[in-house]
Amino acid sequence: MFGFLLGEALRDLRRAGRVAISAILLITLSLAALGAFWLLSSNMSEAVTQFRERVKLVVYLRREPGTAEASALVDRVRTMPGVGAVRYVGKAEALGTLRQVLGKDAAVADTLPQNPLPASLEITPTAEGATLEGARALVTRLTALPETDEIGGGVEWMERFAQGQRLLWLFALGVGAVLAVAAILTVTTATTLVLHARRDEMEIMRLVGAPEHVVRLPLLLQGMMQGLLGAMLAIWVLVACYALIGPRIEPLVSETLGVARLTFLRPHNVISLMLAGTLLGGVGGWLARGRPEA
Amino acid sequence: MIELHRVWKIYSVGPVKVPALSDVSFRVGKGEFVTLCGPSGAGKTTLLRLLYRDDVPTEGEVEVLHQDVGSLTRVEVAALRRSIGIVFQDSKLLPGRTVYENVAFVLRVLGTPRREITGRVFDALRAVGLSARAQAYPAQLSAGEAQRAALARAIARKPLLLIADEPTGNLDEGMAAEVIEIVRDIWAGGATVLFATHQATLAATLKQRTLTIHSGRLVKDEG
Repeated sequence: MFGFLLGEALRDLRRAGRVAISAILLITLSLAALGAFWLLSSNMSEAVTQFRERVKLVVYLRREPGTAEASALVDRVRTMPGVGAVRYVGKAEALGTLRQVLGKDAAVADTLPQNPLPASLEITPTAEGATLEGARALVTRLTALPETDEIGGGVEWMERFAQGQRLLWLFALGVGAVLAVAAILTVTTATTLVLHARRDEMEIMRLVGAPEHVVRLPLLLQGMMQGLLGAMLAIWVLVACYALIGPRIEPLVSETLGVARLTFLRPHNVISLMLAGTLLGGVGGWLARGRPEA
Repeated sequence: MIELHRVWKIYSVGPVKVPALSDVSFRVGKGEFVTLCGPSGAGKTTLLRLLYRDDVPTEGEVEVLHQDVGSLTRVEVAALRRSIGIVFQDSKLLPGRTVYENVAFVLRVLGTPRREITGRVFDALRAVGLSARAQAYPAQLSAGEAQRAALARAIARKPLLLIADEPTGNLDEGMAAEVIEIVRDIWAGGATVLFATHQATLAATLKQRTLTIHSGRLVKDEG
């Protein structure tokens, strides 16, 4: 029976002709847009994850502690919530690092009357401590230490980046939603046209006592097929664009965002897009069902 | 098999009430052949549509196959219609399908197993003398052949009740005789037949019980 209904749906799809093609293309467009934003967002998300792993807070100390004192301080800080690792950097080590950074101009450091750099603690937060809220709480705890003079580093800029990513995702959803509504309406129109074309068949089906789901299922299936075809086309477009554009922008992305390789959508994302397309088409087909007979 | 009790069907055309059926009551027993005769616009089609719940009466009760048709749910209506074969004046064949496909179509939508379909379609086509035209499209058929194909479609499901709404209305005498002969055969096979016609002479030649309807009223029940 299902084979027969599927055959009827294919027959209907052929009947819908250009309108069906328009519906498929609109679904392709909406899902390709959604997929492209998804692709962009997932790569940005990868960048944010990498940034989070590299986040460090620096606690500058009021005065350089003695060895035992420094070790006790490190132990105390290590037990704080949100702290992953702690490294003590003494004044001399800080100056050595400055010399390394200055390179050939390292001699400048030797002209200083005394070492102006403070001793510090380099803190690597845990994943929880690297979020905006976690980092804020950690900074509050570290500021409360009597040894703390100032705290450097932070996660605000990274969070702004993450916020940008969320905004992009919202924008994608907005654009996707508008295109999806347009696609649903087009599928509805295509299916309604088919509905008129197969009015006689539906009348005969009802007169002979065919169950209502048998009368209407081909319309739903037809919509779902349009959706699935649209989704498959959208994925093909995304793959083509990724293959074409990806290698060209990868160096730039690596330079600016620190993401070594761009990644394509994961299999579950691709399946989600295909399901979304099928659902869009199905909704269109369902809406075109019209009123059942009294 | 069929029982109508004080059935009224009134259509509203703006403020005007037009009675299509007025106080119609009759019974048809199992295995009967009943001719429903009356001029065009007398209410024959309206009456027949009440039997397969294509419409509901304004007042009164319609019972078909021991079921109160007016109170059936959509699912029950579908179940009732599976026991009824219906033939119309215009054959209502699907133009994009061959004769074979037209008959097979109704069997398929009713979930008949695929292996049974071909046999049942050809049995029905043989019964109406159309096996040789199985692959013809409706446009390639004469009016008589189209009506015979419609009959094949109706009987392929082996209905308990055959409702024929002016099946000979568009046919010349020879073709009409062929169709009537087939309907008689179906009746002889055990089905109850309700045959509507506006031709009084045809009703007379059928020599069966005849219900005469005029302006929505049952004026005669004889034979």
